[in-house]
Amino acid sequence: MLFLKTLMAKISKKRLVFSRKILFLILPLLLLLTPPILKTQEKEKLSLPVKYFQLKNGLHVILSEDYSLPLVSVVVGYNVGSINEQPGKTGIAYLLENLMFQGSRNVSRMQHMSFINRIGGELSATTTPDKTLFYQRVPSNQLARVLWLESDRMRFLEISAFKVEQIKEVLIEEIKRRKANDPYRESSLTFDQLLYPDFTYSHPVIGNETDIRNLTVEDVRDFYSAYYTPNNAVLCVAGNIDTRKTEEEIRKYFETLPKGEDIPPMPPLKTPSQKGMVKSLENSLVSSPGFHLGYRIASPMSDDFYPLKIIEYILLHGEASRLYRRLFKREVIAIQLNGSIEKRKNIATLRIFVINSNQLLVERSQRAIFSEINRLKSRIIQEKEIRRSKNMFKMDYINHYATSLNKALFLTETFLSKQSLDDLPEELEKYLSVTPYDILRTSKKYFTQERILLNIKIR
Amino acid sequence: MKANPKNHNNLKTFFLFFLPLLVFASSLLSQERFRKSPPYPDPLAKLNLPEIESYTLSNGLSLSVIYQDNIPTISLKLVILTGESASPEALPGLATFTAYMLSRGASTLSSSEIEERIESIGGGFRTSINPDYSVFTFTFLEEHLDEALDILSKMILQPRFTRIEIANVKRFMTYDTLRKTSDPEFIAKRHLYRLLFKNHPYKKSTYNEDVIKNLGQKDLLAFFDKYYRPNNAILVLTGNLNLSTASRKVSSYLNTWERKNLNDSFIPPPEPYGEKKICFIDLPKAKDATIYIGNVVLAPTSPDFFPFLVLNQVLGGTPNSRLFMNLRESKEYAYLAFSEVEFFKSCGVFLIRAKVRPDVIRESVQECFKVLENITKRRIPSNELEQAKSYLIGNFPLKIEIREELLSKVSEIKAFNLGENHWSKYYENIMFTNSKKVFETAQRYPLLTSVVVIAGDKNVIIDHVMEFDEIDMYDIKGNLVQSFKKGVIK
Repeated sequence: MLFLKTLMAKISKKRLVFSRKILFLILPLLLLLTPPILKTQEKEKLSLPVKYFQLKNGLHVILSEDYSLPLVSVVVGYNVGSINEQPGKTGIAYLLENLMFQGSRNVSRMQHMSFINRIGGELSATTTPDKTLFYQRVPSNQLARVLWLESDRMRFLEISAFKVEQIKEVLIEEIKRRKANDPYRESSLTFDQLLYPDFTYSHPVIGNETDIRNLTVEDVRDFYSAYYTPNNAVLCVAGNIDTRKTEEEIRKYFETLPKGEDIPPMPPLKTPSQKGMVKSLENSLVSSPGFHLGYRIASPMSDDFYPLKIIEYILLHGEASRLYRRLFKREVIAIQLNGSIEKRKNIATLRIFVINSNQLLVERSQRAIFSEINRLKSRIIQEKEIRRSKNMFKMDYINHYATSLNKALFLTETFLSKQSLDDLPEELEKYLSVTPYDILRTSKKYFTQERILLNIKIR
Repeated sequence: MKANPKNHNNLKTFFLFFLPLLVFASSLLSQERFRKSPPYPDPLAKLNLPEIESYTLSNGLSLSVIYQDNIPTISLKLVILTGESASPEALPGLATFTAYMLSRGASTLSSSEIEERIESIGGGFRTSINPDYSVFTFTFLEEHLDEALDILSKMILQPRFTRIEIANVKRFMTYDTLRKTSDPEFIAKRHLYRLLFKNHPYKKSTYNEDVIKNLGQKDLLAFFDKYYRPNNAILVLTGNLNLSTASRKVSSYLNTWERKNLNDSFIPPPEPYGEKKICFIDLPKAKDATIYIGNVVLAPTSPDFFPFLVLNQVLGGTPNSRLFMNLRESKEYAYLAFSEVEFFKSCGVFLIRAKVRPDVIRESVQECFKVLENITKRRIPSNELEQAKSYLIGNFPLKIEIREELLSKVSEIKAFNLGENHWSKYYENIMFTNSKKVFETAQRYPLLTSVVVIAGDKNVIIDHVMEFDEIDMYDIKGNLVQSFKKGVIK
């Protein structure tokens, strides 16, 4: 672009008449310079080749080809998490995540891990309030083996009293370890209950110790039969695959698995209180005071979610973000700051957590945060600042496409959140076209006095 | 003989109804039969490695480019071929300090302005230092290549080391070093390296937080001026750009970076430990016992490099390897037990790391040495060898799929002058490794005279630690407190 400007300046200096000859000279140059500009604009629309189909038993399948390297990622996502647990039975979804590695009818205990390790692959799993994901990244010639492993545990998981008891012990140990290692855990769980007054959303994914102790093998079997079924799952395969052959293999391993019963309906939700609240919690484990601050914001399915996501980046992402600068550089009043938008099914909240060295600085930090939020509500954000936040967001968004596993996880999570895969290529642009006015409007609408504040005091 | 029409009808009924049913049932049975055992894998797919194109600019800056257009971002690593081993004897930590200062001010830009400019192009900037080189990793949106190179060139060509930022970086380094001391693995490994690199320049990277206060602006300027030179640097880029674009752009921003002759900085390999030594570090409140066992082995340029990778894989590369299967699955001593090889320019260090129950420390160390002894005495069975090779071959594309790891691998190949073999012939080198080569390699290196460092809470494990014939006890800073023989102070 700079070259073109210089050339045009030279032409105008010499007062040349715009002849055909010059047009001939400039036109090819212009054409040469144009594609990168167009290309940059096109890149906002990320392309992701996707094939979707559903098996007779209800299993949703997503395939995405990428031939860069001979590897493939397989993700199986179940539409189940801690929000599907009943009172008194917490921790059962996380227990099942662990049990899924303990063997099924044709796969012995630890054989799943061992198979993946032997071929140089990687595997993991995660349980959140609203989903459970199992994933592996392996050399592409081993795809059939992964499908075999996943199909076996989808239908034939071996649930014995012995295994359940073993995992219960592991989970109880883990709860104890988390308690010992994180003195702020208790405050975080209390804050969950204030932010999500309904049991369904507020209890911890790992469960409560007493509930875990009381879980029976029948509870676990019932939960498995109800939710770990083809009709409550999505299978995503991304990487170096032959789509036709992969579809055949998926049909071979998964289509004969029987459809499960209809998924039990979600318990009715208590409408969150619209009133703000300030609470305090005294804790003898913490050595520094602090606080949790939360705002209930628009549902992830709403159009307001796009500007709210950019606000998250304005306030909390990067060393040049408003709160980082204010708390750590300008006023130097905080020891730790964490924050982000959290999504649990179709409820979203903006959560901020701060640790300070004394109570005086707790109050100063709160005033500083409220003042930054008020600035968002009262002044139009500068172009430079919104550009920084959007580009930071864009980089994070693009990273969903960086590896076969990132892609498979992104597609699975998008599908489980009931978002259409067809809309994905346009999604990034929706965030990038957020205007300073959108920021002002959504800040005013959602960052009201109806905020939830939990002060953590040293006992 | 006339055909019986009734029989004919029965036959017809059979063909019409029962035969399809039988076919269906048998197909179902055969469908279920495939579930009994794992399917055979397809033949290994061809790995088309991304090409590394290289060029050296007129000022000596070595440039390497790997074209990748899967995502619209660019990642680069600027490697200064000087690491912590080049810090003066009296000023350990100087190389680290200099590296951290690079992004803390340039030209008219303050550190906050640099942060803002980096984040405005969706970027992230990270610094890491090892004994041999200092690395600056910079990732940004591809449409901002010019802006990224402009920021980088300002940091290199017009650095600004203000007193305020010097104080900030020193505070950060002190806090960071102190923070790590709560990690038993960090403490045990640091102590092991202090013993293995005794009297060697690599020892300087094991400094304590107290030396940071000695670092000053004058030392910083001298170190920067001496080593931050294009003829002592490598720039590796990956993204949607080719060598010609990259060299044109890089050259336009960094062609005024002046070269300066450097003395040959050859570092000889440290001598391996010749006899087994056992040390204990008291870490109050540590729940488990952490064990590090290690010794100096081959340099990455050694012809034994690939057999040693296979050897390490058999010993402790994954949970299927000997150490994990033995110490955790069979004996139930350990929560984890793995091995690895960390390569430096002049040598490698073979390491075993394990977290074990405090009451079985001695047994755990004994088991580790049994595993090592076994591999030096018996050839690896073919199934175990193939399993290790299969892991290394299968895992290679997984590693280089991640841009950060790809750039690290290429930087290492360039910085250590490892040559083409380490990149384009990786598969072949692993495939052609046989049990004879691994056996000979195991015998060539002093695995059995490794140093053992145990970190744990003295109040919990002292009795178990005293079961060793001889043991040296150190404090967290690495000072020798007491030596014991058969449980009695020497």
